[in-house]
Amino acid sequence: MSDFITSEPSATSTGEHPISTTGERHAVTSIPGATPSRDWVIVTRGLRRDYDMGGEVVHALRGVDVAIRRNEYVAVMGPSGSGKSTLMNLIGCLDTPTAGEYWLSGVLVSKMSDDELARVRNKEIGFVFQTFNLLPRATALHNVELPLVYAGVSSVERKRRAAEALDKVQLSDRMHHKPNELSGGQRQRVAIARALVNNPSILLADEPTGNLDSTTSAEIMRVFQSLADHGQTVIMVTHEADIAAHARRVVVLRDGLVSSDDRRSAFAARVATGAPH
Amino acid sequence: MLLADVLRTALIQIRANKLRSFFTLLGIMVSVAFLIAVIAIIQGMNAYVKDNVASAMIGSNSFQVRRTPLNFAPISDDQWDVIQRRPRITPSEAMIVEAAVPNAEAVSLTSGWPTPQVDVHWRDRTLGDVLIFGVTAPHQVVQDYRIAVGRPLSDLDVRERRSVIVIGAAIAEKLFENVDPIGREVRLLGEHFTIIGVNQRKGRVLGQSFDGFILMPISRFEMLYGRRSTTTVSVKVATVDDVAPAMARVEEALRVARGLRPGEPNDFSLETADALIAFWKTLTRVLFAVVPFIVSIGIVVGGIVIMNIMLMSVTERTHEIGIRKAMGARARDIERQFLAESVALATLGGIIGVASGWAFASLIATASPLPARVTSWSVLLAIALGAGVGIVFGVYPARRAARLDPVHAMRAE
Repeated sequence: MSDFITSEPSATSTGEHPISTTGERHAVTSIPGATPSRDWVIVTRGLRRDYDMGGEVVHALRGVDVAIRRNEYVAVMGPSGSGKSTLMNLIGCLDTPTAGEYWLSGVLVSKMSDDELARVRNKEIGFVFQTFNLLPRATALHNVELPLVYAGVSSVERKRRAAEALDKVQLSDRMHHKPNELSGGQRQRVAIARALVNNPSILLADEPTGNLDSTTSAEIMRVFQSLADHGQTVIMVTHEADIAAHARRVVVLRDGLVSSDDRRSAFAARVATGAPH
Repeated sequence: MLLADVLRTALIQIRANKLRSFFTLLGIMVSVAFLIAVIAIIQGMNAYVKDNVASAMIGSNSFQVRRTPLNFAPISDDQWDVIQRRPRITPSEAMIVEAAVPNAEAVSLTSGWPTPQVDVHWRDRTLGDVLIFGVTAPHQVVQDYRIAVGRPLSDLDVRERRSVIVIGAAIAEKLFENVDPIGREVRLLGEHFTIIGVNQRKGRVLGQSFDGFILMPISRFEMLYGRRSTTTVSVKVATVDDVAPAMARVEEALRVARGLRPGEPNDFSLETADALIAFWKTLTRVLFAVVPFIVSIGIVVGGIVIMNIMLMSVTERTHEIGIRKAMGARARDIERQFLAESVALATLGGIIGVASGWAFASLIATASPLPARVTSWSVLLAIALGAGVGIVFGVYPARRAARLDPVHAMRAE
């Protein structure tokens, strides 16, 4: 699959990338009361999430500080039970924290109502799931339309934008097919088109290649790469190191806390030397 | 979410699983059909009684002056005694009545209950159990009879106590078949009578024929049977509005003639077709209220069916609801989606039920003597009930769907 976006990737893709440094991130998250600017798409401070499992309390997140800048391509790694899925749910506004704060594009979302969160999800977040999570009885086009339906966009406008998004992932010829008529890779591309159709601030992917073979995985990872190169903020949750290595920054979670947070090169070095990650 | 999309999503869902959708609306459909049919039959019967029965027994725009009331309801023994002691209506009183309503179209005197039944013989043929009425000439007008052949009874026939009769169409048919009955002599009760006229058919009312009778001059009739105790004076007026004032005048005249003091109750009865209709209504009031109510319960049951099937649907579509919420559907978007489905199903069931009920009622009307008339208010009622049930019984499943947590929901299935 060739590069699907016809314009040139931004000049900053070659290394002068607006990736946040450890120092910057520390500054943002550790100054109490400071409101993060729009430049910092995701800022969390002391994020906690406890679950009540029939009497016992499980501390899925124990105080997570992350700061992610616009246009970053971040992988969130960790073994199962590390809290990465919980963190993803919180970042994706699918859930609210037990304690701590979360600012999305400078807006405090951690105290929002369900309706407000729904609106944020609709406008600011694009989800891509491991199991695709498409509506099985709807066509690819209608699946991609879905966020626009809940944004109250008219039918004609919706179809146009959805068709555009499908065109960007090169599935125009499959627009009217249902998911069971599409391959795994095609389904994931529909999901990506759906995630992008409302121009979200962040693209949140949870093990996007988990259900795909290696060739298709590579294909999908190239899509994400291209999106990141064109300025999309991408956050990818994965438990696989070689997937995480595609990102430019890797945050590692362990037991509900951030264990490490490095640029790709440093992360790769860490993996190579077998240091704990 | 735009309203158009709410409806569109609902209809897509309904079409997606046609069999389930059908079963969901089946309960509403059947009970609405029955409701429509039952109300149609009730309406038809009421109209029938009003149009036919009442006017067959008491002519339209007429009233009767009788010794006994037309009340079929249970009467206490005391009341019965009082009624039994009432005096007969005499021929002179009949003339007083006639004088009291000079503008009446016709005033007739009729022999009353019980109506005798005789065997009528012609040549070697016999027709049994024929009803005989002793009447005066205006009876023809009062009862809205039309003569088919020959002539009706005249005042002269009554004055001269002639042995002449007018027969109903059924008698003519059965006894004479294709032979012209006019001028023929028949024997009844050992005596000879000449047929001078045949009345046109009045038809059947609720299965009872109104054409199987013999009309005889009342003076001749009394020679055979003596004066009956329940002779009736019938008065026909020009229009419906004239009935009440005419009745009032007759009442006054008769009270004066009988020397009744003010405050004393009438010792006679004035009856109209209205009274018959009112009696019919009392008789059927309870029945006609209870039956539709019982059928309405069926609609509630239909609603419960909808609720259960929607609950099932919500459970099955939990995963889908999670996806929609992740894409930005608010709780109320989900609630509206499911509510729209149940309302659409219930309303659809109501509409199909109305159509079926209509067909059912028409079938009954053509296949049986029972009339059935579908009214527009019952159609609106049924559809409103259907939609209402869809809302009431759809709310709970819709709320359940709306409250699902997106993270848990997406893990389902």
